[in-house]
Amino acid sequence: MMPKTKPAYLWAWPLGLALLAALPWILPPYQLRLVTEATIFSLYAVSYNLLLGYAGLLSFGHAMFFGVGAFAAAVVINSMEGVPLFLALAMATALTTLAGLVVGLLLLRVKGTPFALLTLAFNALFYAIAVKWHTVTGGDDGLTVFPSVVNFGLLSLDPGKGPDMYYLTVLVIGLAVAFCCYFTRTAMGQSVLLIRENEERMRFLGYNTNVARLMLFIITGALAGLAGSFYAIFNSFVSLDAISIEMTTKVLLMTFIGGTASFAGPIVGAFFYTYVQDFLSDLTDNWPLIMGTLFILMVLFAPGGLSGLVKSLAARLPGAKDKGSDRDD
Amino acid sequence: MSEIAVFFLHGLAYAGLLFLVSSGLTLVFGMMNVLNFAHASFYMLGAYFALSLLHITGNFWLALIISPLLLMALGMVIERFLLRKVHVLGHVHELLLTFGIAYILHEGVKWIWGTSPQAMAVTGILADTVSLMGITYPVYRLFIFAVSVILGLLMALVLFKTRIGITVRAAVDDSAMVGALGINVPRLFMGVFAVGAALSGLAGVTAGPLLSVFPGMAESILIDAFVVIVVGGMGSLGGAVLASFIIGQLQSFGVILFPEFSLALIYMLMALVLVVKPEGLFGEKQ
Repeated sequence: MMPKTKPAYLWAWPLGLALLAALPWILPPYQLRLVTEATIFSLYAVSYNLLLGYAGLLSFGHAMFFGVGAFAAAVVINSMEGVPLFLALAMATALTTLAGLVVGLLLLRVKGTPFALLTLAFNALFYAIAVKWHTVTGGDDGLTVFPSVVNFGLLSLDPGKGPDMYYLTVLVIGLAVAFCCYFTRTAMGQSVLLIRENEERMRFLGYNTNVARLMLFIITGALAGLAGSFYAIFNSFVSLDAISIEMTTKVLLMTFIGGTASFAGPIVGAFFYTYVQDFLSDLTDNWPLIMGTLFILMVLFAPGGLSGLVKSLAARLPGAKDKGSDRDD
Repeated sequence: MSEIAVFFLHGLAYAGLLFLVSSGLTLVFGMMNVLNFAHASFYMLGAYFALSLLHITGNFWLALIISPLLLMALGMVIERFLLRKVHVLGHVHELLLTFGIAYILHEGVKWIWGTSPQAMAVTGILADTVSLMGITYPVYRLFIFAVSVILGLLMALVLFKTRIGITVRAAVDDSAMVGALGINVPRLFMGVFAVGAALSGLAGVTAGPLLSVFPGMAESILIDAFVVIVVGGMGSLGGAVLASFIIGQLQSFGVILFPEFSLALIYMLMALVLVVKPEGLFGEKQ
């Protein structure tokens, strides 16, 4: 688990929050957009890592939930004139939860490699449905989304404006990521970890491991859906790209490059991926090739990802104490 | 009546392709418990190599022979220098690696050959049609089916009548035991992996003239091949034969009977198998 915050670091919290609040004044609009996008992908990657890093479930279909969330938010906002943004988000998340339940009930009948295979197959199915069902999803044309202004009484935020969207994202996505972090410390989150380590023993202790796994699958799906909804609102547009296997590959690369062994790893990965993509796509159209090569090199030589590299470097620094004792699981 | 015959023959041709792709996939999975996500990329590469060879030599038969050989070499390299390295790290890493390889090959193909579909033309007898039980039918589809039947029989002959075949089948059952008996399992695995890659590449070459050559071809057959090994049972060659046949026919007849939902039929079959017999028709219980 994450090491407990030491009292000496308490001053960092207000400072960090102040920095987050001040960012729109510090950064130029384009940079702010990148931060917002990376934040959205952070939730997507963190939810994915709850499956992969914590439960040991390797899914190749996370984009089906991301996409369902994105399309559901777009459809709700477009079809219900002036619907409050948070209601639309709640409805989209509810729909993703339902999708997670149906898919999870079917897929979790198998484990390990067959599970990985089936998640990919179902992602392909969801994509095919999105292509065919163009009356709802817009097919190849996609959907444009114009959400209404969020009113907090004194303060009102317009998702169409860069800084306002940034604040909304940091607020909601930040809370969702915090929820994930909290979840890993709850009894339920811990039991998922233990099921990965020794399922038979957990069963013997009286846990219904199938239900725990299904719950986790649904929760992570819903969180990915929330990230997807934000992605649609952020771009004011949603296309088939959101539900494609490329989107699954994206979360896989982010999570793995960042590192699956710690909670912060996927967040690091999401920011790294977003910035490197931004940098490389200016230089060459073949940036996915570079990203893919980096991924393979990571799998071969640095299975702990970036956060694993940082940790092993930190452990080698002179004066580093109790190396390895804070290894996350 | 004749229409049904035509669609049945169409289904057979596709079943042949599916079998060539999924047989290697299922054998590799049976032996080392590695599901190779890059397997369909070998199929795609086979088609692209053949396309370039056809441009250079102008001879389809030459492409049909050389392209699978190139893939066999590539398969060996990938197994020896990449897959074997991550084997110690466990399952998840193996899957991630093959997924990463598939991603790179997909992007690499787009880089080298471009994204637009390219036609591959065959000439001579293969471009002809024949009269069969009162219907005119293109020779090429029959050729695909014939190739897969011949290779299937060859594979059966090797697997069931030779010493190597016995070793491979034993390794599919229990590779640790085979290793304990003094057989070099890693080398055997490399061989099976490479032959699987070659078969997949051969399927790609034969698919080229029929379906044209495009970067998405790997993804579309990968999903179908996955359905084949789920329905047939992972690691079962007999299951791959039967499931390829069923899915080939479902694809073919699905398109005329339910044009909007032909894909759903295949998933419904898979869901049905998962609910009734999760290990697949010919699979062993986990």
